[in-house]
Amino acid sequence: MVELAELIRRRAAAGERAGRGSTRLRETAVSLGMAGPAVALYTVMTVVPVGVAVYLSLTNWNGFSDALFVGLANYRHLFADPDSTHAWYVTAAIAVVGTIGMVGGGLAYALLLKGRSRSNSFFRALAYYPHVISALILGYLWAAILGTNGAVNSTLAKLGIGPVGFLFDEHLALVSLIWVIVWAGFGFNVVLFVAALQTVPAELLEAAAIDGASRWQTNRRVVVPMIAPVVTVATVLNLVGLIRAYDLIVSLTGGGPAGSTQTYSYLILARSFAGTKVGYATAQAVFLMVVSAALALLVTALRNRQDQAAAG
Amino acid sequence: MVVQTETEATPSAFRAPESLRPRRRRRPSPLRLVMLGLLFVAMAVPVYLLLVNSFKPQQQIADNPFGIPLSELTGRYLLDAIESPQFNVIGGYGFTVFLVVVVDVLCIAMAGPAAYVIARSARRRTRLLLLYFLAGTFIPGAAVVIPVIYVLRAVGLVNTITGLVAHDVASTLPVSIFLFVGFIRTIPVDIDHAAAIDGAGRYRTFWRIVFPLMRPAVVTVLILNSIGIWNDFVSPQMLLSPGSGHYTVTTAIYAGISQYSTDLTKVFPNLLLAVAPVIIFFIYLQRHIVSGLTVGAVKG
Repeated sequence: MVELAELIRRRAAAGERAGRGSTRLRETAVSLGMAGPAVALYTVMTVVPVGVAVYLSLTNWNGFSDALFVGLANYRHLFADPDSTHAWYVTAAIAVVGTIGMVGGGLAYALLLKGRSRSNSFFRALAYYPHVISALILGYLWAAILGTNGAVNSTLAKLGIGPVGFLFDEHLALVSLIWVIVWAGFGFNVVLFVAALQTVPAELLEAAAIDGASRWQTNRRVVVPMIAPVVTVATVLNLVGLIRAYDLIVSLTGGGPAGSTQTYSYLILARSFAGTKVGYATAQAVFLMVVSAALALLVTALRNRQDQAAAG
Repeated sequence: MVVQTETEATPSAFRAPESLRPRRRRRPSPLRLVMLGLLFVAMAVPVYLLLVNSFKPQQQIADNPFGIPLSELTGRYLLDAIESPQFNVIGGYGFTVFLVVVVDVLCIAMAGPAAYVIARSARRRTRLLLLYFLAGTFIPGAAVVIPVIYVLRAVGLVNTITGLVAHDVASTLPVSIFLFVGFIRTIPVDIDHAAAIDGAGRYRTFWRIVFPLMRPAVVTVLILNSIGIWNDFVSPQMLLSPGSGHYTVTTAIYAGISQYSTDLTKVFPNLLLAVAPVIIFFIYLQRHIVSGLTVGAVKG
């Protein structure tokens, strides 16, 4: 081992003597060749479009004719537009209520299913499976179940209860949407929390038991505080994911009835863009990016704090 | 002396008395049974309805969605869905698998070497590249797809498979590179030096020596990207117009079902066809998929 290290050192020294400049240049060229394709593709397909979005958001482009520069008019319109404001309310409601449901449900079932038995891993998989299915398809499935002649309404009809407009009542549609979101997403949190729970040292639980703590007290005072950092990260991950909700809205409610389930992403793509108001759509998109980035930065900050807490 | 007292003290002081120690096999509490029952009903019923109603005529689905009318079960609707000219499910599978494979291969081919350079570089500038890529995870897909159309139009790739692939690969790069960099940093750099002494260049060192050691990270990235691309709806819908004639499973379902949403004999069989491959994969590769998706989401 020592000989090897010595050999490497000698070779490196010889290389430097032989021609510092040219070796370095070749080194840089090789690095560029290896990282270049990824950097170039990512720049053209992700970074440049963000710049283009900012540019287009300052125009009145409609997708066909020449774009005319209109300054900040789109942004001013953004804050005056009732559709836009309403879409934010819907998005915030989905994000906040959905996150509470997903994290709460995830935590409850994680505490229930944290053991390493066969039946527990079956139930965890059962809670998790919607996570691997496209949101678009889950939306169509639930639309077929909750629709006017769907399974739920035909069962209610047998009990003599008239058709309930799960997807066609302005208030109920949002509730149904949030239900499907929580149903589809809480299993991910279950898995995340179970992984964290399994690292809680058994000594702590035994200590709590010696002190005479009930199961509820142990969970509340010992177990949950131990996994609090993971819960925080999951909360922000769910929030960031939900303010982007789009696919599920397309298939479950189509933004209706009367725009009551129209999220911001849905507004951008299905209304502004489809209505050939491209300039306005990109202004909305830029605004969504800013909000999304702010939330994502929050994740990073929280994660750093968590890492520091873990290290210290 | 100290050691002795400790070893003697440990068992009696730190172990709870028999009565307080949580017993290994306890009878499930009623609360647990109720909650597991609710979970089972909520999660299993939609799949049951999907399965059963794919084989029933419309009247039966509407009147008795939960029932299994043995005399009326038929594979006709499933066959119709497979052969339907409006919704070409076999073509949808084929094109989606093609897309997944091409994107996976290109993503690994690009993200691997880039991550290697970033992970092994001592220079600050190169390391900052990681942050540059990570910034991409902040950008919501639905928001960036409109300017992507603009860029693709400028380079003449709008409504082409190449354009869609380019966008999809770019969208998988940030998280893939992030996971790879993290993993490569755990591989001892001595291995690289040894390869260099044996005369291997950097490409060779990476593909022949380092890459084979990255198997767990590669599996994670493959699962993450494959499921992401398979389920993606926004990109294929916006970047490949229906006129192009290419449908993924999701865009084909969208095109088919938005037209026939009230005909449940079309809805259920088509959804079953769309879900079946994913569910089968999930059952077989459950552990890999769950850990891969979880690691990808949390670390990315």
